[in-house]
Amino acid sequence: METMNKLGRILLVEDDPKDVELTLTALEEYNLANEVIVARDGEEALEYLYARGKFKTRSSDNPAVMLLDLKLPKVDGLEVLKQIKSEEKLRMIPVVVLTSSKEEKDMVASYRLGVNAYVVKPVDFHEFVNAIKELGVFWAVINEPPPGSVRK
Amino acid sequence: MAQPKLQLQFAHSAVLRYGLAVVSFGVALGLALLAQRYSFRNVEVPLFLFAVAVTSWYAGPGPAALAVVLSIAFFDYFFTEPRYSFYVTSSDIPYLIVFTGFALLVAWFSEVRRRVEGELLQARDNLQIEVAERTQQASLLNLTHDSVFVRNMDFAITYWNLGAQELYGWEAEDAIGKHSQQLLQTVFPAPLEDVHGELLRTGRWEGELKRTTAQGTTVVVAARYALRRDEQARPVAILETSNDITQRKRREEEIQRLNQELAKRSMELEAINKELETFAYSVSHDLRAPLRHIAGFTELLQKKSSSVVGEESNRYIAMILDSAKRMGNLIDDLLAFSRIGRAETQKTLFSLAQLVKEALTEVRQDTEGRNISWKIGALPDFYGDRSMLRLVLVNLISNAVKFTRTRAQAEIEIGSAEGNSDDLVVFVRDNGVGFDMRYVNKLFGVFQRLHDSDAFEGTGIGLATVQRIIHRHGGKVRAEGVVDSGATFYFSAPKLRGHLWKP
Repeated sequence: METMNKLGRILLVEDDPKDVELTLTALEEYNLANEVIVARDGEEALEYLYARGKFKTRSSDNPAVMLLDLKLPKVDGLEVLKQIKSEEKLRMIPVVVLTSSKEEKDMVASYRLGVNAYVVKPVDFHEFVNAIKELGVFWAVINEPPPGSVRK
Repeated sequence: MAQPKLQLQFAHSAVLRYGLAVVSFGVALGLALLAQRYSFRNVEVPLFLFAVAVTSWYAGPGPAALAVVLSIAFFDYFFTEPRYSFYVTSSDIPYLIVFTGFALLVAWFSEVRRRVEGELLQARDNLQIEVAERTQQASLLNLTHDSVFVRNMDFAITYWNLGAQELYGWEAEDAIGKHSQQLLQTVFPAPLEDVHGELLRTGRWEGELKRTTAQGTTVVVAARYALRRDEQARPVAILETSNDITQRKRREEEIQRLNQELAKRSMELEAINKELETFAYSVSHDLRAPLRHIAGFTELLQKKSSSVVGEESNRYIAMILDSAKRMGNLIDDLLAFSRIGRAETQKTLFSLAQLVKEALTEVRQDTEGRNISWKIGALPDFYGDRSMLRLVLVNLISNAVKFTRTRAQAEIEIGSAEGNSDDLVVFVRDNGVGFDMRYVNKLFGVFQRLHDSDAFEGTGIGLATVQRIIHRHGGKVRAEGVVDSGATFYFSAPKLRGHLWKP
């Protein structure tokens, strides 16, 4: 399948396993990702991005998009965002905040730090699946990722 | 005071004064002629001198001179040879010189005496006037309710008015001569050296003093010191004016205490409020995640097993999903409501008519297939947070749309009502199901509903949101309703100062 070959890698940063499963289910439903890397907290996400710790041996290409929750153990989402956007090597990775928070404060902080999109997780499953699908289609298929990301 | 009056008359009437000279001379001449007739010798000179002396004494130098001239002339005429002639012989001359000299001496003496007496009288009058003035001034000082006292540089009290007596309890005779600091146990707000330093430098000092009265109670007084210096500019006395500010001070302290308490309370309230907001936020926020999971996995369950489980189970699954959705709406509304409490209001002046148009667009979805007659009246410009006011209008209008659902012909009116001069009032009126006025105060509460959710859906947070927004604008909300005859919702807000709204 030609589209499959063009799908990018997605880095999902999410601490809640149920949310991980629902997100993966939604992505699977539309065959939108052939590779989703899951980081369970901010520290793990940074380890992946900097290719250190257990991600030391990861392929050198960056993900096509990073789906980032804000409320995370250890290093929270805003801190992760701040580090990525202030790092020359990483700042081009598209980051989508995917969170339960509709708070203006969180939104403003995220945009100020240079987030590429801000999506509030809908409660309704249909809407949730739709949101994930649209995100996947846009960032992993429609959007041309920055050089250094790989499309398989 | 008869004598000065007589003197004054003599002094002021030349006729009387010269008349006295003529009369006293006449009397002396008469007596001298009488004495000559009865052969008394040498009494005429003393008699004339006496007349001159009397005239000089009572009538001054001019009349005295007249008396001297008359005496010499008629002495020569009647009593020296040749008699009955003004002819002066050489033997008369020494006699006349002695007489003239003596008369002048008498006149001079009496003149000196008169002058001295005049000065004395003047001095006495001045003294009397001054005494009267001083007495009046001193009694004026007694009229004031302020305490006034004077002490010298050794702290000895030299003057003590009625006000001081009233304030401190000692009478003047008890206070005068006493050491002021010891008597009053004065507590200064600054070291005494500083107070005196300022007093000597500037001549005055002001401050609040704490003192103990004769009754042993403590009073706080606002005191003003003024330094008095003598002609050599040496400080001699201190005049102190003071008034009792004990009550004022007590009230001030009370007010200060209450203010502090108020500030503390309001800080506590603010903290509690903030805590509540944070709580509401995190509750709403953290509730969304499990709810999403319930909805998500139930949906997956429905998808995977709807063909396997029975119809009843499928109905249960549908009910779980429905409830999850409803709870999601509740949480969203609660989040929005809590956000209004925390968000800053960004006030601008905008057209309410335009905002109503936007709100109508927003509720268009709910009006599809309905027969609604809209009546939009003249609307003022509004000074407030536009997006918040939009929420108010959307809530009120969608309520009106919702509760007229049972009407074949719904009527919804939006307009402005007559407010007072400071506020503008806007209303939304419908002919819907209305409500019982007995429950009007429940209307604006969070999660309060007057209709069951089967008949009219909703989370019961819309009107609470409206109230919260209007309160944040310093306005008021109220509602009028009759069961089955419709409802009117009013909201008011302060007009922008200096802004006249034109319909």
